[in-house]
Amino acid sequence: MSTPNSTPGIEILDDSSESHTTLSVTVNGKQINASVIDRLLLSDFLRDHLGLTALKVACGEGVCGACTVVIDGEPARACTLLAAQTDGAEIVTLEGLNAPEGLNHVQQLFQQQHALQCGYCTPGWLMTVYSMIQRSIHPDSPEVAHYLSGHICRCTGYKNIWSAVRRALGTEIEKSASKEE
Amino acid sequence: MTEKTLDLAAPPKTRRFMGEAILRAEDQELLQGRGGFLADLPQPDAAEICVIRSTEAHALVRAIRKERALTIPGVIAVLSADDLEFVDDTLPCVDMIPGTLDVRQRVIARDRVRYVGQAVALAVAVNRYIAEDAAALVEIEYESLQPVTDHMAAMNPGAPLLYPELGTNIVYQVTQCDGNADFAASDADLVIRKRFEFHRQTAIPLETRGVTARLIDNGARLHVESCTQLPQVLRSVLATAFGLGLASIRVTAPRLGGGFGCKEMVYPEELLVAAVARTLQRPVRWLEDRREHFASTTQAREETVDAEAVVARDGIFVGLRVTGYANIGAAFGFVGNTPITAMGALVRGPYRVPNLDARACSVVTNKTPLNVLRGAGAPQAALVMERLLDEAARILKMDRAEIRRRNLIQPNELPLDRGRTGFANSYHVIYDEGDYPRCLEAGLKLSEYEHFEIDRKAAAAHGQLLGLGIAMYVEITAVGPYETARITLQADGTVLLFSSIMPVGQGSETTQRQLVAEELGVSMEQVAIRQGDTDEVPDAVGTFASRGAAIGGAAGRMAARELVNNILECFAATLKCDSSRLQWKNGGVLITGAEDECIPLSAIPSRLALLQGKKEPEGIEAKCRLEVPKPSYSYATHIAVVEIDPETGAITIPRYTVAHDCGTIVNPLLVEGQIVGGVVQGIGAVLRERIVYDSEGQLQTRAMMDYVLPGACDAPGDFRLWHMETPTSLNPFGMRGVGEGGTIGAHPAMANAVADALRDYEIEVNESGPFNPTWVMEALNKSKRSCI
Repeated sequence: MSTPNSTPGIEILDDSSESHTTLSVTVNGKQINASVIDRLLLSDFLRDHLGLTALKVACGEGVCGACTVVIDGEPARACTLLAAQTDGAEIVTLEGLNAPEGLNHVQQLFQQQHALQCGYCTPGWLMTVYSMIQRSIHPDSPEVAHYLSGHICRCTGYKNIWSAVRRALGTEIEKSASKEE
Repeated sequence: MTEKTLDLAAPPKTRRFMGEAILRAEDQELLQGRGGFLADLPQPDAAEICVIRSTEAHALVRAIRKERALTIPGVIAVLSADDLEFVDDTLPCVDMIPGTLDVRQRVIARDRVRYVGQAVALAVAVNRYIAEDAAALVEIEYESLQPVTDHMAAMNPGAPLLYPELGTNIVYQVTQCDGNADFAASDADLVIRKRFEFHRQTAIPLETRGVTARLIDNGARLHVESCTQLPQVLRSVLATAFGLGLASIRVTAPRLGGGFGCKEMVYPEELLVAAVARTLQRPVRWLEDRREHFASTTQAREETVDAEAVVARDGIFVGLRVTGYANIGAAFGFVGNTPITAMGALVRGPYRVPNLDARACSVVTNKTPLNVLRGAGAPQAALVMERLLDEAARILKMDRAEIRRRNLIQPNELPLDRGRTGFANSYHVIYDEGDYPRCLEAGLKLSEYEHFEIDRKAAAAHGQLLGLGIAMYVEITAVGPYETARITLQADGTVLLFSSIMPVGQGSETTQRQLVAEELGVSMEQVAIRQGDTDEVPDAVGTFASRGAAIGGAAGRMAARELVNNILECFAATLKCDSSRLQWKNGGVLITGAEDECIPLSAIPSRLALLQGKKEPEGIEAKCRLEVPKPSYSYATHIAVVEIDPETGAITIPRYTVAHDCGTIVNPLLVEGQIVGGVVQGIGAVLRERIVYDSEGQLQTRAMMDYVLPGACDAPGDFRLWHMETPTSLNPFGMRGVGEGGTIGAHPAMANAVADALRDYEIEVNESGPFNPTWVMEALNKSKRSCI
């Protein structure tokens, strides 16, 4: 009988006899070339293949937003895309937004506002806030609700998420206003 | 206890961390996406398991054909009941009482399936994709049996029986009485009779379940990692299941992405995955996907309650009769009889109601097993009482606040014995300290109750229906029987707490460190915490029933107190001095003498080593086992204001108010988080969520697309919160539990608010909803028809 130590390692993705697609993507600024099975989900590609486990799979059908990444500037659900569909795309995950040390500004606001509890949905929210900031969404704009309605949080009751997001957007507006002056 | 012990009644100025809104340390990792949830932990050598589940609600299993599945490259094994060895294959249920019929769940179906989603076989493959391919090719031959899904129908003679050998589907019965159970109404009294229906829900933590299992220590031990609120319980169950000693098993649980009660269960998969690892002698992993989660993770809340209240003309509730019928699904959950039992234990809430006759039973049906969900039966109990109060007020033309005032238990009546419960250890519900009237008045004031009728008229002018719902509850929290903790002053001078409490999102990593830092008088940075490993904390009860901070936290702080004792004893022995010369002060040892000397905590191990002539500093350890003979009772007032658009049936919540008392607060930031989050879960439960089965027992809600959860725009517009802090004498630090109250209060407050908004339409609200737009429009249309 074999012991765990002698169990052969399992090649998760590449030893399959299935049809493969070659794929070239930029993930967090890094060029990645890979050969993946056609049916590989983007979420599995990022998490299992590239070890980018910040994004979470929670509903598997694009409802809850926990797997949100930014693809070519647009927030997108990694759980309902195939990796093969993203050939040529530029993908940003939460790992790409993390500060070299400590928390980035938006993350700090989430901590200060107690806008997370179990933290499972949090990476998804942070990606959407990043997209909103990229688009200079005003904190009082009705569009904020549109963006936030794409995410489910089971713990916080949303109150503190609203505060953190509004502050994050407000800071950005102030920043760009002071630049214009 | 000696004079070395810290003064319990320390003056407030020395409270450095208790009651402070300290930001959570765990946020650092969680916000960076490095939370370390089970699915994030790399398992490169683990084979993946796909559980093959029953597609039939009620059937005999005639054959399982695996041949085709085994031909796929990458498939390692397909296993069913006959391939897996168990010494004991029953899952635990801890709320059976004498007379209960044993319908504990078996880990895997053998001859008969009783619900859609029940585990029948397992496909093991090199990855999940191939495991699912294999699962699709396993042919299971069923002989269909007539299912029964409605619990009221399941009690009828001639109904299909899930366990024919028992001769009945009623498997658990309990009676709870207080005062004169034979009370009768006088001619003048008002008698209100209502049947309440509570719909089936599920918790939906965003993290589904998952289990990994592997043999460790050269195959001598079994290591199971699971998303569980009960790692120590799971270890005991695994030991029994496989006939192993406890020492041969290590259970770990990483941070949980939410639990809310559905992970307070020992699940078939936890035993099955372990059995596969043992059978195949290789590491294996199972990650639940959301579709199977809907069918295989326990569900909650479904019950019917017949209530009869006798109310005097002055609004005083004389007595209450309730009979509850729980639809517990196909088998017992870990605590599946608890919610219906809680009806009798808690229905009267903060109201006197001197006479009670409460009966309840559990009925098996062909649905997924029922277990607890945040509140564990208390939401249903509070909804029954609060709807009856509003109904009595309406009939007697009495103000809704006034009828509550008249029935409330006064502070001078506390502590109050509410009678023997039907829970397994048949303890008495004895309310501890509190001030219910003050809590009601605080809620009324904060919610601007006095102005509500003016607001309602203003809304009506715009065609909107405004409703206000008042609700109070008293809940059992900080449940025993005990909890443990271990703490070490490590050789490097930092403190490490081994806590029995699981991090489920409630912030236990921060609150537990707050409590220890408070006790030791050191900074929080000097205190680290580890959780969820039975090798480190072998004996513990678990994380549920609003007991984490109050009981687990108290155990941790008591362990810290013991650590101080041990340190002082160490110094006394080493210095051979009288213990009266030693004190714990300002986070260190104060040695009094000709010249006082203070040794800070961080320098203690090295100083002791020096004094003892040892080369290397050593750690000092302390343990605590905190016995909890009685639970304590948190309470609150919830006041919801809802606005109904009669054109669309949409319900919004412009204002929501909570006044609550959970005893001494460790961290108000986190308490607020628990309450707001709990309230929105409750709002979702009564406005949106519903598990639906068809009459054949097929689960219709199988995805989050079908099961609509509250979103960012469903949260109350204006949330008002007021903390009362009456320390309980039942806890060494005055703490009660707070994790579930928000959800409990929201059920009755929302139901009352919806009923109030519709007060002109003669619509009965004797249910938990969900009050979705369809419900509202149907109710309004029906009412219009009846008006014509």
